[in-house]
Amino acid sequence: MKNLTVKLIIVLALISVGSGFFLALTYVYTIPHIEANAARDQEIAILETIPGAVSFEEIRGTDFPMYKGLDDGGKTVGFSYMVEGGGFQGMIGLMVGVDPEQEIITGVKLLSHAETPGLGARIGEEAFLGQFLQKPVSDNFEVRDDVDGVTGATVSSKAVATTLKRTLPQALEQYRVSGGAK
Amino acid sequence: MGYGNLIVSSSPHIRSEETVQRIMLDVIIALLPATAASIYFFGMRALAITITSIVAAVAAEAVIQKIRNKPVTINDGSAVITGLLLALTLSPAMPLWMVAVGAVVAIGIGKQVYGGLGCNPFNPALVGRAFLIVSFPVHMTTWLSPVDGVTSATPLGMIKMEGIKTGYMELFIGNVGGSLGETSALLLILGGLYLIYRGIIDWRIPVFYLGTVAAMTMVLGHDPLFHLLAGGLMLGAFFMATDMVTTPITPVGRIVFGIGAGVLVVIIRLYGGYPEGVLFSILLMNIFTPIIDKFIRPRLYGEVKAK
Amino acid sequence: MKASYALFNGLWRENPTFRLVLGMCPTLAVTNAAANGLSMGLATAFVLVGSNMMVAALKKVIPDEVRIPAYVIIIATFVTIADLALAAFFPEMYKVLGLFIPLIVVNCIILARAEAFAAKNTVFMSALDGLGMGLGFTWALTFLGIIREIIGMGSVFGINLFGEGFVSWIIFILPPGAFLTLGLILAFFNAMLSKKKKVQCS
Repeated sequence: MKNLTVKLIIVLALISVGSGFFLALTYVYTIPHIEANAARDQEIAILETIPGAVSFEEIRGTDFPMYKGLDDGGKTVGFSYMVEGGGFQGMIGLMVGVDPEQEIITGVKLLSHAETPGLGARIGEEAFLGQFLQKPVSDNFEVRDDVDGVTGATVSSKAVATTLKRTLPQALEQYRVSGGAK
Repeated sequence: MGYGNLIVSSSPHIRSEETVQRIMLDVIIALLPATAASIYFFGMRALAITITSIVAAVAAEAVIQKIRNKPVTINDGSAVITGLLLALTLSPAMPLWMVAVGAVVAIGIGKQVYGGLGCNPFNPALVGRAFLIVSFPVHMTTWLSPVDGVTSATPLGMIKMEGIKTGYMELFIGNVGGSLGETSALLLILGGLYLIYRGIIDWRIPVFYLGTVAAMTMVLGHDPLFHLLAGGLMLGAFFMATDMVTTPITPVGRIVFGIGAGVLVVIIRLYGGYPEGVLFSILLMNIFTPIIDKFIRPRLYGEVKAK
Repeated sequence: MKASYALFNGLWRENPTFRLVLGMCPTLAVTNAAANGLSMGLATAFVLVGSNMMVAALKKVIPDEVRIPAYVIIIATFVTIADLALAAFFPEMYKVLGLFIPLIVVNCIILARAEAFAAKNTVFMSALDGLGMGLGFTWALTFLGIIREIIGMGSVFGINLFGEGFVSWIIFILPPGAFLTLGLILAFFNAMLSKKKKVQCS
């Protein structure tokens, strides 16, 4: 009886150790790729929303994850921030680029969402998000008056617009306060 | 066997002269004024949608019963009612092929999959409409104004999205944007009263359904009269929530059903993503029907309440 | 038992999805497009082959009393490897399937094959069984994905079939569409099977 118990423990322990060994090996091999993927996604989103930017720097001390975009001379050409707002079925994650000089939107990119495929999910399309380009930060963002919503997806369209309206002035102010403008 | 005066008791039972056919005929008669009004308001499109829906529903019933080697029972009129009810919940702007799809789904997935009339847990017409609204939300929410035939929002959509309220009189007569049969509260109430008079439906479900909606909207600080008249509530309360197959059999059970559906409508209308909640309120309460029937049973003759 | 039997068993006769009706969670959850079904199927097939081989190799070592925890550790190891590899090398696919890859652990097909087949057979036969079952699962998921994608989006593997005028039936790429499609396919399979039986009886 006692022998059996010892045997069970040893076998399970050995299997676990073997499992751990293979997992560690896989992890060490894959983690650089995984981190590179995440960094690349973030970089693409930031640089796409700030025209003229070739690199970016994180701005610390803000409520939103915020980045300032730099051109090849190292000069700040704008900033972008990440924000989430409640959509039709879940949170809608956005990357928003702003030109702090002219106080206009320079880019909006959909990062994550759980909207209805083929319907609410179409808020990610250029036809919808492109409407926000060049709009002043202080715009009202009323769906129907200022921007056209996606047909049949009023709730999703409004979610994007109200999220922008809610966070844009705040983001601009924090950008200035946090020394991003220096 | 009339539904309204159906008393569930122990045997012996008396055989009734009423047949499924007779009941279905009464329901069709009760729906005629509202159907006629929809054709008056929306013109030939409404007629085409109604005919398409009925023909598709009856054809689907016949074909599926043939395939499954069951007796074909299209003569009982239940498929006609399913088709007619479905048509009345649709927008006059709906493409006809979508109407046909909805009718086939209503009969196929809403009814025949479960074994035909009497075995379906959900109201077939509402299953068809639920399928359509999830599949084609754009077409299902493109409404026409009966006045000038251009696209317009429904009264419920307008109050939810834009805060514009439609007048009571327009809602009552039916001169508003909306689906074929949900526009005229007056004619729907007339049809409902006829069915109650004929003993086909039980007054308890519509009364408690509508009463709950009125009471709850009032308590929550909204306009109860508007919520009673707008949308598909009248159609749902008199013709769908009273479907004898998918609602509880005891009087108390029907009261529970009516109140539950009323609460759900108000929650969906005021706090949900959709402007209208009648469809889902009735479908959800259909799910609860077996449980309601399990817990609320008629007492046996001579039974003493257990202490 | 012949090797070909072990290989082809899972493809049709005992197809995990359409005949055994196992592994319904991924079947219903990820088949809203053909490519998703295919990737999920292949990831599961990888885990099936790996865990089947490992269980068969260790069957003499693992005492009966702890075989289930031992199998679970082995399966979880392969699932985590698949998870990391997908995240590293197929990031786009991983964004779609990410949530469901760790859930391969609780896919009944894998534990069922370990218990019912690999624990009693050689490593080679177990590999064939895992491959057959895995590919059976893969084609079933891809098939479901193709049907749902065609009706729900008018495309197959992202290639548009019908052009602009097509009205997509959105319900088919939503969860209810998964149940409807699977139900209709199962009904079709059952109808075919019962017909065959009738022919044999007469």
